[in-house]
Parts: sequence; C-alpha cells; structure tokens
Amino acid sequence: MIRRLLHPWLTLRAQIALGAVFVAAALPKLGDPPGFAEAIWNYQLFPAWLIHPAALALPWLELLCGLALCLGVWTRAAAAWLAALLLVFMTALSINLARNHPVDCGCFGTAGSARSAVERVADMRWALLRDLGLLLLAAQVLAAGARRRQ
Amino acid sequence: MPKPASDLLKAAALLAAALVCAGLANGWARPDRKLDWTGWAPQAVLPRATAVAPAPPQPPVPVAQAPQPAPPAAPAAPRPAAVAKAAKPAPPAAQPDPFAPSPQEVIREISSAAAWEAYQLKIPFLDARRSSDFEAGHVAGAWSVPIWETVAAARITEFEARANPAPQAPIAIYCSGGDCSDSRLLAKKLVELGYRNLLIYRDGFPDWARQGRPQASGARP
Repeated sequence: MIRRLLHPWLTLRAQIALGAVFVAAALPKLGDPPGFAEAIWNYQLFPAWLIHPAALALPWLELLCGLALCLGVWTRAAAAWLAALLLVFMTALSINLARNHPVDCGCFGTAGSARSAVERVADMRWALLRDLGLLLLAAQVLAAGARRRQ
Repeated sequence: MPKPASDLLKAAALLAAALVCAGLANGWARPDRKLDWTGWAPQAVLPRATAVAPAPPQPPVPVAQAPQPAPPAAPAAPRPAAVAKAAKPAPPAAQPDPFAPSPQEVIREISSAAAWEAYQLKIPFLDARRSSDFEAGHVAGAWSVPIWETVAAARITEFEARANPAPQAPIAIYCSGGDCSDSRLLAKKLVELGYRNLLIYRDGFPDWARQGRPQASGARP
C-alpha cells in the first residue's frame, strides 16, 4: 500500500499538480502587493513588521517553489516550503474561523469583494479543505523523496 | 543522493531568490502597486463601536430626493443645483455644531445623512480606498489617500499643503462601507499626525452612490 502511495508515477503527478496550483495562486498577488498586504492584515494575526515583507516576498516564494515542482528541480526543498506555507495558511484560517472573524482568503487574489460574512465563512471552510488536500500532495512528494533517499 | 543539509541550502536559496525577485519587481512596479518593505500597518483595528455618530440634528437635507441613476463617469462638476440650494439651510440659531471636535471621541462614525450634511458644509472628504477604486468613482471633490499604497504618505502631505486643515477641523473619511476597515486605518494614521476630529462615513461610497449624491471619476479630485 505504502509502495503504491509513494510510486514515482503518483509523485510526478502530485508535484506537478501542487506546483501548478501555487503558480496560479501566486500570479494575481505578484501584480498587487498592496492588496495582498491588506489581505494579510485582515487576518489580524501577524505582527505589523511582517506584513509588508510577507506581502512582497510570499507570492514570489510561491511562484518559485511552484515552478521548481513543475520542472522537477529542488523538489524536496520546494515541497517543504509549500507544506510549511500551507500549515501557516491553515492555522490562520482556523483561528479566524474559531473566533468568527470572516476574512477574504487572499489565496488566489487580493481584491476583497463585497461578500457577506456568511459567504466568507463558507469560503474559508472550503479553503481549509483545499489546503488540506494540497498538504497531502506536499506530504506525498516529501515522503517519496525520503523513501528514494533510503 | 541529496542530503538534508543540501535541502536546507536549497530552501534558503529559494527564499533568497524570492526576496531578490520581490525587490526587483517592487522597484519596477507602478506607483499604485508599490509597497514599502517597512510600511505602516497598524496591529489592530479600532473597535467598530469606537463612537457612535452623534445623532445629527435633522436638517432639511434633501436625502429623500429620488436617487439618480448615478452615472459612473459623472463629470466632476462642483455641485449640482439641488446641492447648492441645500448647502444653505437655515440652521436653527441655538443648534450645536454636530461636527464640533470632541476630546473623548477623536474618531467618530457618522451616518449617511450626517455625511451628506458634512459634504454640504464643505468638510473635506478623504477616500481611503485603492487608487483604482477612486478612479472608477468617488465623492466629488474627495482626496484620494489609498492607505495601502506607498503614495498614501505623499497624498496626505499634499492634502495638508493644499487644504491646510486645522487639527481640530472635521475631516470625513470613507471607504467601501460594510466591513471595510481602510477608513479606520487612515483615521488612525491622521490621529498620529495630530488630527483630532475625524468622521468616518460608515456606509462609505456604495451608500453615496446609492443615494445619487455628487460623484466624480478619474485620478484626481
């Protein structure tokens, strides 16, 4: 079972899917750092000094890691970064869901649309599920790499 | 066969490359898409109930006029005739100024009717939304101070130089209404700069447009 789950055929597809999702997520944010900074700030979780550097660098990190996975270069390092980012995203979404603070995810764009709080909460739940799925893909890539190393 | 140390180095290299790319892209970005590396970002929003708008005296404000279709690209005409007429209400003699500074409430929320009254009294309006939103449509005569853009500081300086507001003078601020917090952030910034009478138009530009009040479009007021 483990052997099938970590089969190179599956790993290749997992890393391309994960990479493509992050490239798609990064592109809208690359073009609008102020909008992304506002999205991060809306989470009301991160220290003030971190918001601007994160808004500037995070989309590029997502893009470079996504490209690395798609091209099969430095896959373990890229998957490790994306897994770490996904854990941060999931924690941030969970905390805001728990304290009933609806936020725009800011996952695939920056523009805060005029949506109701109920719609935002529903979107946050879907984003959490999506991030969990992506985290599983990243885990697959990392585990397959570790297995190859053995 | 890769070693963990080399993976760490690669991860660090990816981060370094991201920082370099971000720096280059930010350097080449359009002014409204630039972001300072060490920008001003307040840690917490003021609670929504910082101050409830003082119930403004009910002036003969023509808010009940039939909402206009609100053309999106309305010319930046100073004031329509209806507004000009309404700008000269006969205020009751002993009525207190609803926009007088209050030491306890340097930031106050104001209702839609109070915002209209403030506009008629020629109180300056600051638009805290993004430049692109301002260009699409704004309160006629408002100043654009997009709080999340690098240009915000320069716009505040320009506003101070041209409007020369006194610290106690009322300044109305708006964004997109609803749970938009940009106007609160701008108000907080202005408090840091010494202003003490900031009126947050709670319902923001969507309400202004809905009421058919004077609008303009384009980059500058």
